[in-house]
Amino acid sequence: MNKVLFFAHLRDAVGEEFLKIDASGKTVAELKVELVRNYNLPKLDSVMTAVNEEFAQDDEVIQDGDEVAFIPPVSGG
Amino acid sequence: MFGKGENRMDERYSRQVLFPGIGKEGQDKISRKHVLMIGAGALGSGNAEVLTRAGIGRLTIVDRDYVEASNLQRQQLYTEEDVIEKLPKAAAAQKRLQAINSDVEVKAIIGDATPSMLEDLVKDVDVIIDATDNFETRMAINDVSQKYSIPWIYGACVGSYGMSFSIIPGKTPCLNCLLRTIPMQGLTCDTGGIISPAVQMVISHQSAEALKMLVEDWEAVRTSFVSFDLWRNQYTSLKMGKAKFAGCLSCGEERTYPYLDQENMTKTTVLCGRDTVQIRPSTQGELSLEKLAGQLSTLGYTVKGNPYLLSVEMGSERMVIFNDGRALIHGTKDLTHAKSIYQRILG
Repeated sequence: MNKVLFFAHLRDAVGEEFLKIDASGKTVAELKVELVRNYNLPKLDSVMTAVNEEFAQDDEVIQDGDEVAFIPPVSGG
Repeated sequence: MFGKGENRMDERYSRQVLFPGIGKEGQDKISRKHVLMIGAGALGSGNAEVLTRAGIGRLTIVDRDYVEASNLQRQQLYTEEDVIEKLPKAAAAQKRLQAINSDVEVKAIIGDATPSMLEDLVKDVDVIIDATDNFETRMAINDVSQKYSIPWIYGACVGSYGMSFSIIPGKTPCLNCLLRTIPMQGLTCDTGGIISPAVQMVISHQSAEALKMLVEDWEAVRTSFVSFDLWRNQYTSLKMGKAKFAGCLSCGEERTYPYLDQENMTKTTVLCGRDTVQIRPSTQGELSLEKLAGQLSTLGYTVKGNPYLLSVEMGSERMVIFNDGRALIHGTKDLTHAKSIYQRILG
């Protein structure tokens, strides 16, 4: 199983701080597509992904037990 | 203001000099450095005040807007009088900063930070601080930083959420490595709201990084990407070891600095014979008009729409936004003002 955390407006969209789902074997890109489909999220193309608190590219494969976080960059200033 | 008596000046910076990370040598370095601040809104005000009080040599501050009542809740350099006089932010900031520390040479530039302006300004700059409200300008700052090898400090916030990352050419990944493209419909303070503590937290991260760079303590510069949410009590520090992208067009081997090319910038045009400016964003894509309409209604704007466009009354102007991101701003012929309104809503 994997813990998947959401930040900022993504957390509001999901309605939870984190989800417990099985994402092992999937790439970051595949997980993004699945989340958008299942949780009515905005597109995650430019959302940064962390796997175990380390920046991950879209082709990184998620392992069982990895903690995944989605961090949307914002533009306010 | 104090007269130039050595003792008074020693006293002025004494507590900062006592701090081991700075010391007398660090203070001497700080006093010879030049910082370029892009934006004089919430982040620009706070960072400029910290660095002016810290006694930097020169500060150049660029902003295209004037002070409005909705700024006062968080933009710490401005007063009610500035709102009444509709002072440009850069000018109002300069006035206040010079009153705080008359030894700092503060230069105010009232205008849009275009790629060509940035290229003209950066030549003798030591650090660039990002205090803008849109990704297009950030990507231009990022390219200029790489081209002229000048570090810059990304910072942004919305709601109770904020983030910061220090970008050192040749050492860290750059913003284009992380984003690859300009995000469509980034949340802004004008759509998602903002609380002042989130602003202050980003300012603290950015200005601490700036001080490290100004005293040339490169070992101390943070290499992780920080983000936090003060309301939901989240704080993350992302390791960025795998973030550098070899094929990056801004910092990779085959770099082209795409965001210094006017072709990739938002296009603004005054429509012939009408008091209207057309805005075409650099990235085409599909906006969520429904979501935007909801946010703008919550803020008290009168919004009308259909599946193809949204019409928003904004004081003396009216903005019509199409679902591909294009917009018409009615009621103005001022290109910079129109672009400012657009980016405040769409990021």
